[in-house]
Amino acid sequence: MPWNRPLIIGFLLVVLTLTWWRLQPDGEEVRRSRIIMGTVVEIMAAGQSNEALEAAVEAAFAEMERLDKLLSRYNADSEVSRLSQSTNGGEVSLSTAEVLTLGLAISQKSGGAFDMTLGKLKALWDFDKEAPTLPNAAELSAALSGIGPKALSLDGQQLRKASPQLQLDLGGIAKGYAVDRAIAILKQHGVANAAVNAGGDMYLLGQRPERAWRIGIQHPRDEKDVLETVQISNRAVVTSGDYERYFEKDGVRYHHIFDPQTGMPARQCQSVTIVTDSVALGDALATAVFVLGPKAGLTLLEQFPQAEGLVIAADGSRHVSVGWVSYQVVP
Amino acid sequence: MKAPWNFMTGGDWLVVLILLMLSLAGIVSIVAMPEGSRVLVTCGDELCFTAPLDQPRTFGIDGPLGQTKLVIDEQGARIVESPCPRKICVSMGAAKHTADLLACVPNRILVHINGPSGEEMSYDLLSR
Repeated sequence: MPWNRPLIIGFLLVVLTLTWWRLQPDGEEVRRSRIIMGTVVEIMAAGQSNEALEAAVEAAFAEMERLDKLLSRYNADSEVSRLSQSTNGGEVSLSTAEVLTLGLAISQKSGGAFDMTLGKLKALWDFDKEAPTLPNAAELSAALSGIGPKALSLDGQQLRKASPQLQLDLGGIAKGYAVDRAIAILKQHGVANAAVNAGGDMYLLGQRPERAWRIGIQHPRDEKDVLETVQISNRAVVTSGDYERYFEKDGVRYHHIFDPQTGMPARQCQSVTIVTDSVALGDALATAVFVLGPKAGLTLLEQFPQAEGLVIAADGSRHVSVGWVSYQVVP
Repeated sequence: MKAPWNFMTGGDWLVVLILLMLSLAGIVSIVAMPEGSRVLVTCGDELCFTAPLDQPRTFGIDGPLGQTKLVIDEQGARIVESPCPRKICVSMGAAKHTADLLACVPNRILVHINGPSGEEMSYDLLSR
């Protein structure tokens, strides 16, 4: 046999093998979106079996839809709506109790800056209608009557309302809780690398191939720009900003994050980003810090060693908690 | 001394030719990536429409509030008319990169761009 024949054929087989190897996907990735809790929820999950990933993502969506039916104030049959309509509260499900327990703790620690009793106020402003209008002082006063951290109390799964008129709104925490539950379901299905993003409130499980997740933070005054990028793994990222839902009247921006003291949009910040270990906690803290402003807000964060924050104040100045620098990858 | 190819028979050349063609086909398929992207439209929880991103067209998508009009042209895919109250979806502009997303939440319509990842973004997701 001529000496060169196996050499040439061997060389070509090596080229063929390398080419085939290069064409093989590194693994499967499933990316699905759905509208839940009035926002777009996107789940990305990576693994080896497409079928297993599809089943895991479907189960995660199902859990979020279950919670939407439980916690939405827009759904007349939800548990939250039932509690709002009740005279003095009542028994709640375990999921609702978990949300309320965390919410009440943040409400108390923030001195009421985070408040789950703003249902009447939010209905009054109604940012969902075609042309939102400014409420007058009497309407605001009526909507704020009887609200605050002491207006709700929870004993096990028994919720007590201080007054029959009190309307619950868990919008500042329910979405985050639903993302946390979706991540728990993905983990139960053996998914190790995933992202669940509900309108910008997200949890990053594991990592991307060969590196941690990189999350851009929206610039509050330039929608095409990012403020900075954080690199994280197994953490929640939540941003609250005055650019998400707003209308302008006589040159003044009226947005959807309200100061419970005044019933008006909070004025000390443009945006707040929290990185922490649960989206529900991040959700509530982002609202509380936004209402409190940079100084008091970052002081509040000191009570939560697992949380770091980036605050863009109303004048555009940047304020961060001590540990924030450990996440930042690009200025 | 004879050159190596002088030892090869017709069958050898055939084997070499087949392997060469297979290798070239593989290399071409690598170089040719990424292939064209597609627009995927979800109505409620169901995929209700899909079309290539590089073929201009206009079409209506029915949702619970009425018809949302989507245009695909050289700018990408964009919503130009919607029955929703605040028209946020219309002001979202065009989607043309892989994983770009347009959403009309009230009319329960999602528009995705699906395809191989093109340009490298500096981040995976945007927190806003």
